[in-house]
Amino acid sequence: MQSNKREKREQILGYFFIVPAVIYMLTFIGYPIAYNWMISFQDVTAKTLGSAARDFVGFDNYKLIFMDLTFRKALLHTFVYTVGCLIIQFSLGFLFAMFFAKKFTLSKAIRGFIVISWMLPVTVTALVFKFMFAESNGIINAILMNLHIIEQPIGWLLQGNTAMLGLIIANSWVGIPFNMLLLTTGLNNIPGDIYEAASIDGASGTQKFFKITIPLLKPTIMSVLVLGFVLTFKVFDLVYVMTGGGPVDATEVLSTYSYKLSFQLFHFGEGAAAANVLFVCLFLVALVYLKTISKDEVI
Amino acid sequence: MKKSIALLTALAMVAGTLMACGSSTASTSGEKATEAAGNTAAENENAASTDSGSGTTSADGRTEITFWHYMSEDKEGKYVNQAVEEFNNAQDEIYVTAQYLPRDELMKQYTIGVVSGELPDCGMVDNPDHNSYASMGVFEDITDLYNSWEDASFMEGSINSCYYEGKLYGLPWGNNCLGLFYNKEMLDAAGIAVPTTWSELEAACEKLTTDTCKGLAISAIGNEEGTFQYMPWLLSSGGSVTDLTSEGSKESMSYLYGLIEKGYISRECVNWTQADAEKQFAAGQAAMMINGPWQFSGLADDAPDLAYGVAKVPKADNGEYASVLGGENVAICTGANVEASWKFLTWITSKEKSQDICKSIGRFSPRADVNVQEMFADDPLSSVFAEVMPSAQSRGPSPDWPEISAAIYTAQQEVFTGQKDVDTAMTDAQAKIDAIGSK
Amino acid sequence: MKNIHLTYRHKNILLSAAAVIIACIFLFPLYWIVVNSFKLDSEIFAKTPTLWPENFTLKAYKDQLGSLSVTMKNSVIIAVGSMLLSLCLSVPAAYGLARYKVRGMKLFVLIFLITQMLPASLVLTPLFLIFSKLGILNSYWAPILSTATISIPFIVLMLRPGFLSMPKELEDAAKIDGCNALTSFFRIAIPISKPTVITAACFSFVFAWNDLAYSMTFNTKEVMRPMTSAIYTFMNQYGTKWNSIMAYGVLLILPSCIIFVTMQKHIVEGMTSGSVKG
Repeated sequence: MQSNKREKREQILGYFFIVPAVIYMLTFIGYPIAYNWMISFQDVTAKTLGSAARDFVGFDNYKLIFMDLTFRKALLHTFVYTVGCLIIQFSLGFLFAMFFAKKFTLSKAIRGFIVISWMLPVTVTALVFKFMFAESNGIINAILMNLHIIEQPIGWLLQGNTAMLGLIIANSWVGIPFNMLLLTTGLNNIPGDIYEAASIDGASGTQKFFKITIPLLKPTIMSVLVLGFVLTFKVFDLVYVMTGGGPVDATEVLSTYSYKLSFQLFHFGEGAAAANVLFVCLFLVALVYLKTISKDEVI
Repeated sequence: MKKSIALLTALAMVAGTLMACGSSTASTSGEKATEAAGNTAAENENAASTDSGSGTTSADGRTEITFWHYMSEDKEGKYVNQAVEEFNNAQDEIYVTAQYLPRDELMKQYTIGVVSGELPDCGMVDNPDHNSYASMGVFEDITDLYNSWEDASFMEGSINSCYYEGKLYGLPWGNNCLGLFYNKEMLDAAGIAVPTTWSELEAACEKLTTDTCKGLAISAIGNEEGTFQYMPWLLSSGGSVTDLTSEGSKESMSYLYGLIEKGYISRECVNWTQADAEKQFAAGQAAMMINGPWQFSGLADDAPDLAYGVAKVPKADNGEYASVLGGENVAICTGANVEASWKFLTWITSKEKSQDICKSIGRFSPRADVNVQEMFADDPLSSVFAEVMPSAQSRGPSPDWPEISAAIYTAQQEVFTGQKDVDTAMTDAQAKIDAIGSK
Repeated sequence: MKNIHLTYRHKNILLSAAAVIIACIFLFPLYWIVVNSFKLDSEIFAKTPTLWPENFTLKAYKDQLGSLSVTMKNSVIIAVGSMLLSLCLSVPAAYGLARYKVRGMKLFVLIFLITQMLPASLVLTPLFLIFSKLGILNSYWAPILSTATISIPFIVLMLRPGFLSMPKELEDAAKIDGCNALTSFFRIAIPISKPTVITAACFSFVFAWNDLAYSMTFNTKEVMRPMTSAIYTFMNQYGTKWNSIMAYGVLLILPSCIIFVTMQKHIVEGMTSGSVKG
């Protein structure tokens, strides 16, 4: 009886902390999400945008976009791009975090500097990378040719594969410090005496890494990967500014294609449907994440 | 897990209905918010503050209206502001506030404005897009006003771009078209005359192209600009937007691709806007470029010492000179103060004002009663454009133009990047255009 | 003893040197931004890029001083407002999710996850509708409220693991000392996780500081626009003014750089302090 009452109190206190933020998010983002779902089932084009009574067309918009070759490419590109970015930025971010966790004079200062790349407005980042990747007077070609790695300048943003690579590099440049920071926080939360105890027991560095660091860091790793996935999967500005989805449609991703469908071709229904496909993909990732966190609950 | 998803959907739906229907509750809390925001914002707002939407009346009894344009502030925008100020001083009934927005941003605002109702009183629109936005319901039908306007006299191609389904939705503001800019020094040094035909152009490119300099700079970017730049070539060889698979259409594409393959045009043109082409030309990275009269002021800034000339875009060996009409229209937005806006727009597009403003912003007056050839007779650069202007063909007008244009610039990009051969790209583009109506 | 000391010094120099090399390579794009902001257009478009400006010029910086005071003030108001709002809402939420056995905890986490799933560009129209109904277009509220939606879920998910790993004994002890839920949140949880909270504050500040889409769409009046909006001015029909963009990039990151580099010390020191270890 007593414990029941206490549990109830706990519940109410918990809600008191949590609910304001939840209400805020549901109001300002829940509505846009609902709105997107609504119009994705309607016939919304330039002619019907202003009218109140739009035809309900069921899954027609979804059928249309899945028949659209560019959309299918965009879907594939989004996954290629996300996985590519995650691999680079997580592994390098982890290496950086481990490296700068060592205690040496410049560790903190340089770690602070590296974070700057993450703080630049994405538009500026996209522009500077576009500039560096230029074929004729880009610095990257100039350096590679001076080092005799390549003989002819490469048209980085002029071919599908290299353009995608360019985007992945640019995005990773932003993502590495982000991963590094979150992983550093996680690393610092591991009590040092565990390592000491392991050292006394004669554990090697590798053993300590796989037996202590990784397991204890797992919740952090999971949230870094999931947040990284979400942030990369929905990327818009970087692609829009750097390649505009081109050349042709070689770097078109879901977000840019959805935007184009809506604001350039005025197929608002299809644009919303494309946005919802993006949403569903991320929703599935979120469910996987939820499954894992239940196991890690400390309380 | 299922339960939480169900709950979540329910919550989202509740939030949705609250937002959609609860305007009464929203506005009470909103008023407080506005008040607070207003306080912080107040110091910034000058007397001329108006909300977008239908005109309001200010303290001194003048009707206030807003005019949105995309003439960038450091260049043409100055002249727009001057004209607006002149209008405000010339009468005491209407006060116009001009508001600059970057072009993409302005177009997005129109689209969103259709749904939200937050539109300015009047605004500017790129002429190939006019039909789409008219079909969306962004603009007011001004057919009757126009028919009773005594001073109505516009060039046919320009005013046609304002018609949608037989009704008039705006007035032409300024025209432009494309020409061939050439670096005089480079041409002289190579000892060649200004090319007038495609084979002459190719021969000139061959001589002018060096390790550090391309023969010609164009823009073939994946948006309207790419289509705009391609049109003169397409039309000159007898091709047409409605028949991309014809010999003439394919010839123009093959010709341009040939220039790229031979290295006369940089492959990077698929990522270049027309402004990027101008930068290349100004920096001496290209001996010639295809561009428009609005670049004069940019060239004066970027390369004040550059000696350059302008000629017509070379014609196909067995074809005619062709040009395509670019430029802006102005229109009254839905739900705006039509009467006041009409007064302002007819003032700013009147014969006298139109020729003044257009001259200052690197455009040509779209009015039939302004003789642009005469006006620019002494100007060796502008006169070339003025001569081409009357024969310039408009894009569309069609509410589906954005899609038609997308098919064209995509084909161009596919060919230029070597993804598809000319035949396949053009056939695919035509198929896309044919499919637009049936969707 | 002396021997050990020496190896530590050697190691220190070695590691520092490695760190400098890493930073040089990694931050090259940043260097490129700074260097090009001092170049003239003609040099930027030269066939072979120069690693150091031949003609050092401050023109790109001088050009923008005029409008800087207004836009910078707007940026500060928006970023600070958004940061305060998101902290007030998200820190308690992260704490509540970590420390209380709440029914529907997973649902709440799911909500925070899915509400950050659509990019800003795809929620502009419906958000515009909301703000239009609230009558807060063309005010600081619109960008503040909208940018907070980026940071809130982010901070909640970022802080939650930290609160989870916080030893519960501390709070239990506090309860015995007579602290209630609220005081133990403010007196125990917040001080202990101060470094993470500071990190979160920095993140939300930067998110709002860098926002372009929301401010551009919701505030059509120039006097309400933040510094980022000036980037558009340099990318108009007259082409990309590289040196101006780069100069603006430099000016844009300066404030956040200063904040972050000074805070970085806080963060790291706070993190390694003893309280977490218990």
